[in-house]
Amino acid sequence: MVSVTAGLRVAGLALPLVLLCGGGVLAPAAPNLESAAWWSFRKPVKAALPAVKSGAWVRNPIDAFILRKLEESGVAPAPEASKRTLARRVYFDLVGMPPTVDELNAFLADSSPRAYEALVDKLLDDPRYGERWGRHWLDLARYGETSGLEGDGAIGNVWRYRDWVIDAFNANMPYDRFVTLQLAGGDEHSKTRNNYQPDVQGYIPTGFLRVAPWDRSNLVAAEVRQNYLSEVTTATSSVFLGLTVGCARCHDHKYDPIPQRDFYRLQGFFNATQPGGNMAVPFRDEAMAARAKKEVERYEALLKDGEEKKSLDVYEQELLKKLIAGRAVKSRGKPITKTDLRLEVKLKPQRIFTGEEVRRYNDLLEDANRTGDAEEQTKLDAVEQPMIEALRAAYARPGADAEKRFEALTVIEVRGEAASKQSEKSIFTEAEKQRHAELAGTLEVYQRRLSRWRTSVAAVTNVPGPPTGAALAPVRVLVRGDYRQPAETVEAGFPSALTGHSEPAVIESDRYRQYPTRGYRMTLARWITSRDNPLTARVMVNRIWQHHFGHGIVRTPSDFGKNGEKPTHPELLDWLAVEFMESGWDIKAMHRLLLLSSAYRQSAENTSLKAGDGDPDNRLLARFQRRRLEAEAIRDGILYVSGRLNRTMGGPSVFPPLPADLADFARYGRTGGLMWEPNERDEDARRRSVYIFQRRSLPLPMMAAFDAIVFSESCERRSSTTTPLQALSLMNGAVLREEAAGLARRAQAEAGANRPDQIRRLMEIALSRPPAREELDHLDASGSSLETLARVILSSNEFAYVE
Amino acid sequence: MSNRTRRQLLFDSYLGLGGIALADLLMAEQARAAAPADPLLPRPQHHAAKAKRCIFLFLEGGVSQMDTFEHKPELTKYAGQQMPKAERTTGEIATFSAAPNRIIPPVSPFRQYGQSGRWVSGLLPEMATVVDDLAFIHGVKVDNNNHGPAVYHTLTGNQFPGSASIGAWVTYGLGSENRDLPGFIVMGDRRGATIGGAGVWGNGFLPAAYQGTLFRNGDTPIVDLHRSASMSDTAQRRELDLLRWMNERHSAERTNTSELDARIASFELAYRMQSKAPELVDLQGESEATKKLYGLDDEVTEPFGRQCLLARRMVERGVRFVKVLHGAGGDRWDDHGNIGERIPVHCREVDKPVAGLLKDLKSRGMLEDTLVVWASEMGRTPFDNNLTTDKPGRDHNQYGLVVWMAGGGVRAGATFGATDDFSVRSAGDEVPLRDVHATLLQLMGLNQNRLTVLHAGRYKKLTDIGGRVIKEVMA
Repeated sequence: MVSVTAGLRVAGLALPLVLLCGGGVLAPAAPNLESAAWWSFRKPVKAALPAVKSGAWVRNPIDAFILRKLEESGVAPAPEASKRTLARRVYFDLVGMPPTVDELNAFLADSSPRAYEALVDKLLDDPRYGERWGRHWLDLARYGETSGLEGDGAIGNVWRYRDWVIDAFNANMPYDRFVTLQLAGGDEHSKTRNNYQPDVQGYIPTGFLRVAPWDRSNLVAAEVRQNYLSEVTTATSSVFLGLTVGCARCHDHKYDPIPQRDFYRLQGFFNATQPGGNMAVPFRDEAMAARAKKEVERYEALLKDGEEKKSLDVYEQELLKKLIAGRAVKSRGKPITKTDLRLEVKLKPQRIFTGEEVRRYNDLLEDANRTGDAEEQTKLDAVEQPMIEALRAAYARPGADAEKRFEALTVIEVRGEAASKQSEKSIFTEAEKQRHAELAGTLEVYQRRLSRWRTSVAAVTNVPGPPTGAALAPVRVLVRGDYRQPAETVEAGFPSALTGHSEPAVIESDRYRQYPTRGYRMTLARWITSRDNPLTARVMVNRIWQHHFGHGIVRTPSDFGKNGEKPTHPELLDWLAVEFMESGWDIKAMHRLLLLSSAYRQSAENTSLKAGDGDPDNRLLARFQRRRLEAEAIRDGILYVSGRLNRTMGGPSVFPPLPADLADFARYGRTGGLMWEPNERDEDARRRSVYIFQRRSLPLPMMAAFDAIVFSESCERRSSTTTPLQALSLMNGAVLREEAAGLARRAQAEAGANRPDQIRRLMEIALSRPPAREELDHLDASGSSLETLARVILSSNEFAYVE
Repeated sequence: MSNRTRRQLLFDSYLGLGGIALADLLMAEQARAAAPADPLLPRPQHHAAKAKRCIFLFLEGGVSQMDTFEHKPELTKYAGQQMPKAERTTGEIATFSAAPNRIIPPVSPFRQYGQSGRWVSGLLPEMATVVDDLAFIHGVKVDNNNHGPAVYHTLTGNQFPGSASIGAWVTYGLGSENRDLPGFIVMGDRRGATIGGAGVWGNGFLPAAYQGTLFRNGDTPIVDLHRSASMSDTAQRRELDLLRWMNERHSAERTNTSELDARIASFELAYRMQSKAPELVDLQGESEATKKLYGLDDEVTEPFGRQCLLARRMVERGVRFVKVLHGAGGDRWDDHGNIGERIPVHCREVDKPVAGLLKDLKSRGMLEDTLVVWASEMGRTPFDNNLTTDKPGRDHNQYGLVVWMAGGGVRAGATFGATDDFSVRSAGDEVPLRDVHATLLQLMGLNQNRLTVLHAGRYKKLTDIGGRVIKEVMA
């Protein structure tokens, strides 16, 4: 342990990496090595709480820091938001949905001074909290379930990582452990056992290192590997440290070369990592294990001898007959080529060639196909040509049943023909192909569902290393990031900007030296989660802050370097960071602290700020930052208030139907597979958005319109744009149409036959407030149906903005 | 003017004067407001440039340059023989198969056309008639030799997913002149999706307002554009009026409402888009001659012809950037095998439509301020794949991309860059793809170094470390 943190002498000398990345027009000049350490590279300390005049406003230390700055600026904090507003705010913040009417009324009726505190505690214990905050983390983790790029195939069962993240938030896993498992799951040693095998459950969180997009079609292994290593280095640094090192991969700029070296030193910690095959990780949760067992049995049975399987088998045999006859007809009058030879040699028994001839031919063919080498091809040609001649001669003999060769065709060829493009040469009709595709497609979907419930999950593991494998390849600095241009060799080490030196890190190893490739990631994780690391705690508390207050204290949450913004309240950030570590990296305690502050409870309106001139960016935090809900909260909120949200947690992802106009896009010509699948059950379409299948090339249009694409890069802060496409998705999209109808039915059922009561109920459910008299009259007098009113209310600014 | 009255004026003027007045007032309003401005507000060019909008034709799969625009007589001479080793051809090309690399002659003979006497393949007889209007860039180098990363590189400037696409950058730089349609439209190939999907026309690290909107080649060009069957126009209008009433009430009780007000306006824009977008894709108003010009009377040329004609109608209406995609799934230009039968089909599908587009733009005087770009994600090799088939095809060649440009600010008839006798490598200085991107931006009046956004610690730009503006192809 000593060795790990030995490098953490926080020196006066600092060489901020970010500063050296350059490239942009506004990149600062070369660094002054004599300058004092950059603020974020100094260890945070708890400053004394500042003195304030209006002490009564101060509920906890956060308020002292906020108020001090407000008083210096001559601005009074906003009054406390109404209980109604506050409840809606904190529900959306913590669980991503509004309160029910009953929940809200209970809170309003609770006059105890601890009512709000009790509400916060209740919501932190609500399992929906993990879904809400897990999604925030998945943004950072660039979570996607497919590789992106060509083919965009699925990354095996990474939904297990998604569930792990949700569970970790719900269980309030200490942040240092949360980080360690994602970086170093399965990379642990035992102090006592020489043959220690890591806990397989540790592989699930390493999904963080596995969800990076990659190019499956790239055949150059060295390039694929280098791209992978660079991606995880970049993501790790920006997500956990708020350091943007990615640019140091390639750019050989006019600046000092050290930062590029540091990039590869950091990359060195991942050098023993392989994002290879899947690992079998049993379900830890018993209920989930039982669910999985049931599903596996069901789909195995369906695939073995289910109705669809039987129909497909029968149909393929039918098509095979047609194919054999069709090919025979087409062959008439055509010259005999190697294609015909390859059929003939498959016939059993052989009519023309000896067993030895066939064996030799098949071997040569296999070699030529496998290697693609000219030499093998030449050997094949030498045998093939005479055989074709022999075949021609044999077929020319009277009574030779030449067309019999087509009996060698199998269902494999049927599938090929069925998948081919329709033309005048086609043997199957368009309708036959369609039917085949439907039957085969159904079974393909079953196959996918089956594999999703198996225990196999994408993870990273370590390369074997000596004595059972090759030694680790040295880490080389790459000129311009090009894997073909390796330069000097470096050892794994921490960023010199933070440690003040470029010594190699001492890698944790087992005392028996049995697993020489283990311990690299663990060494990095221990350093990142060390109390001495100046960045880790600051970065995380700032992320939590951002989601509660609308902006981080540092408004560039993944960039604490010189190109990033400086903190608006530096002492507060440091105080929180130290508090976070002292609490044992307790995330829920941090929520509680933030949410119970007076600062958080402010109204979004502050009359002491003049509109337009007083702090438009809300840097002083003299009011609550009104903000649009994210795509997930909008969609989940709509489903929830309609009463139709399917609250099932966890498990394989679901496929809300694509808009009809896009359904044909769900097929992909080249690989043929379905890009979007039908759900097992209709109600799966109404699961929470965090469970929607994350296909990188095909985000759901409604989600994408509201700024929730499927991420390929770590996203530290969602955009919040306003576009007519969002409006269209609400005006004409299926989700709002169906759920508004649901909401209207619900309001009707709950409020009885009286129309004003129904309208009142509608507003209470959706907006957490009763209508004003004037509103009720206007809506009632509009003559619109309850369903129309539901659509209006769910589309309204009041629904979409939390304040 | 108070918030409330300004808003009131906006809506009064919308009702009274119609959309254009609203758009103008919105722009004026948002130019004044400190809070989030309308992201698609038109913005001035960085420098005066003729091209105001861009049609980017993207031919997916890797167009064979030696079967289209690169005349290489050596290929005929060495047909069927192993690729001769020349100094320039010894570098590593990550091909999908090894030797023998037998040379495939051009699928169709080349002839010289036009004043410029440019050699063009017999597969492109229609484009040959407008070849004097084009400026060619040869030997463009792409960062990767595989489709996925190469498509990303060509369309977003970065082979790794996550960056902003060219159309997003241009719209970010210039906004949009049409407020009833998206500023950046992608015309998909009806046969399927592009490799990389939405990411290659995505906004990446730019706000979502700049993402490309996919127009399907059919009756419903935009997802959720049409009212459901059960909803009449009157009913929807009434519903939107009610929504506006609610939203205005909501705003009136609040300060700092510019974002809320923008959202109110977005519903009105969406409402108008419902009628404007179908009008856009309705070709009834086009003359028979025009339709014929684009090849709409022939089933082979009709799909891409329609895409090209729609592209013209879009830029005509002030859409800033239109990306027109050709090739999908098995119908891409990825002719590893059987190039002799496949590439004539690809060429025929696009030849007349593209020529028609250029002629049409020219006759309407629109070519002067429209930039038309033709690109693929890579070129191909002169030799075959040795895929043990009877019908040879060409492999990928990341060094052999040909790009041409036409229209505003382009020096018609110019040529820049060259490849060696076999079109394996560039014959002179390499032309990295970022140079093409830099040139495109320059032609659109955008300076690659000023068009930046702060992301993940650095000022990102389309050209990454910066490209050389290819002045040689600029007028």
